Amino acid sequence: MFSVSRDYAPPFGMIAPFFIIGTIFFFVGTVLLLFLDPLHGHFDPMIAGWAHWFLLGFVMMIIFGAMAQLIPVVVEVGHHSVDLYHVIWPLLLIGTLTMVTGFWIAPAVLPYGGLLVLTAMLIYLYDTLMTLKKAENITLTVKTAVAANLFLTTGIVVGFVMTLAIGAGIKVDVSWWLGTHAVLVLGGYVVLTIMGLSLILLPMFGLAHGFDEGPINRAFNLMVGGVILHLVSTLIGFSAGRFLAMLIMLVAIGFYLRQVWLIYKVRARKENDIWARSMFFGYGSLVLAALLAVVSLFGDWENVILASAWFLIMGFVTFLITGHLYKIIPFLVWFERYSPLVGKQKVPMLNEMYPKKMADWEFMLSAAGVVAAGIGILLKYNDLYYGGVALLIVGAGFMLVSVKWMLSFGR
Amino acid sequence: MCEITKEQVYDAIRNVVDPEVGFNLVEMGLIYDVVIDDDCNVKVVMTLSTRGCPLHQMLTQWVKDAVEMRVPGVKNVEIEVVWEPEWNVSMADDNVKKALGAL
Repeated sequence: MFSVSRDYAPPFGMIAPFFIIGTIFFFVGTVLLLFLDPLHGHFDPMIAGWAHWFLLGFVMMIIFGAMAQLIPVVVEVGHHSVDLYHVIWPLLLIGTLTMVTGFWIAPAVLPYGGLLVLTAMLIYLYDTLMTLKKAENITLTVKTAVAANLFLTTGIVVGFVMTLAIGAGIKVDVSWWLGTHAVLVLGGYVVLTIMGLSLILLPMFGLAHGFDEGPINRAFNLMVGGVILHLVSTLIGFSAGRFLAMLIMLVAIGFYLRQVWLIYKVRARKENDIWARSMFFGYGSLVLAALLAVVSLFGDWENVILASAWFLIMGFVTFLITGHLYKIIPFLVWFERYSPLVGKQKVPMLNEMYPKKMADWEFMLSAAGVVAAGIGILLKYNDLYYGGVALLIVGAGFMLVSVKWMLSFGR
Repeated sequence: MCEITKEQVYDAIRNVVDPEVGFNLVEMGLIYDVVIDDDCNVKVVMTLSTRGCPLHQMLTQWVKDAVEMRVPGVKNVEIEVVWEPEWNVSMADDNVKKALGAL
């Protein structure tokens, strides 16, 4: 009889809620975009509430679920305390809903939501760092995971202090700290995490070997330096330092894109499945977001800042996540339901375990929506923005149904 | 003297398929060597298509189980995973290269 070692794999039932909740937040998040007005600028509480809905409820929720699976694989040891994931998602879920309520309806509850989110993050950080501590081979991916998690904690602490300022009247210049909060969480955690994981996932799914890893090492060092410089400059009130930090982070993204290109060039697997197309769109969006960010450094153009953030979050981060969901969820389902049957009966291949036509529609509609809405934001043309959002909503609907389809496969 | 042949071991491993790419490990070129001693102990030297593969433990376990189950007379089976030389698609059979678009 074939036996399967499950030392590194957390139970499916433990991780599934992260993907289910994350996808629901994604879909509802696209609907909520209809109630935003990009002309109001990024200090609008409606936009701040939406950003937390999307980044905590969708992006962080999915990343945490994926990391529960990937961290033990990357470091080749089991979780320090995998049961903690049972409490992470409820805390993150309730905390996110409370925070969004605080932004939109009752500012007084904002600190309570912030505290719940902070608690979820600290529990996640504890398990992750204790797991990484067991790693014998300190690879770049391990280093990025450590740095990213420390930045995440710092970013959430900064965010929590900001919620106290908004909800409890503590004297903190929220507008001054907002940029650093975003840099720590988006640059320090989300982008750095994606950098580290892509060094594993892009070659794995593309079957790429023998590429130079110099650019990703430079990208890592510059990104860490840029985030730290931004934080220190904010602490000492040094505006030029913040400007320089943004430039350094943009150079880091340039090196990262160079690394992605080197991996792409040597990939053995040439087929352009839904994963590959999602990566193409995601990285194209990152290039656009970086170019717009460069432009925004030299003027006070709110629409350019918002468009850059749009392509970074909705184009790059979202498509990297949705593209990988078509790989990660079938794998988890296969591992749970079919791996014990290997050798006893025919088992499906992973590429048979996602709905190809639905995925194609999801990709086309979402990509068209991101581009149309992004141009609408850039040109301050709200009708185009809302038209793009409508396409995005339908695309996200296909994603939601696809996730349900994948989770139900073989049940 | 052991009568097990290398080909028997390779044939057994042909039943182990990587679910991500859909090919067996032999045609992928992931099996580097098979050593059989006089007491019918078998050592399989293999690699994986990438480090940090989530299927690492399962694939090596399946190779071990496949040899134990499908090769009559085998005693102990040892699996050694090596990373040198690093696998690349040129080590795969032509049908694999063609399907991946690398040919």
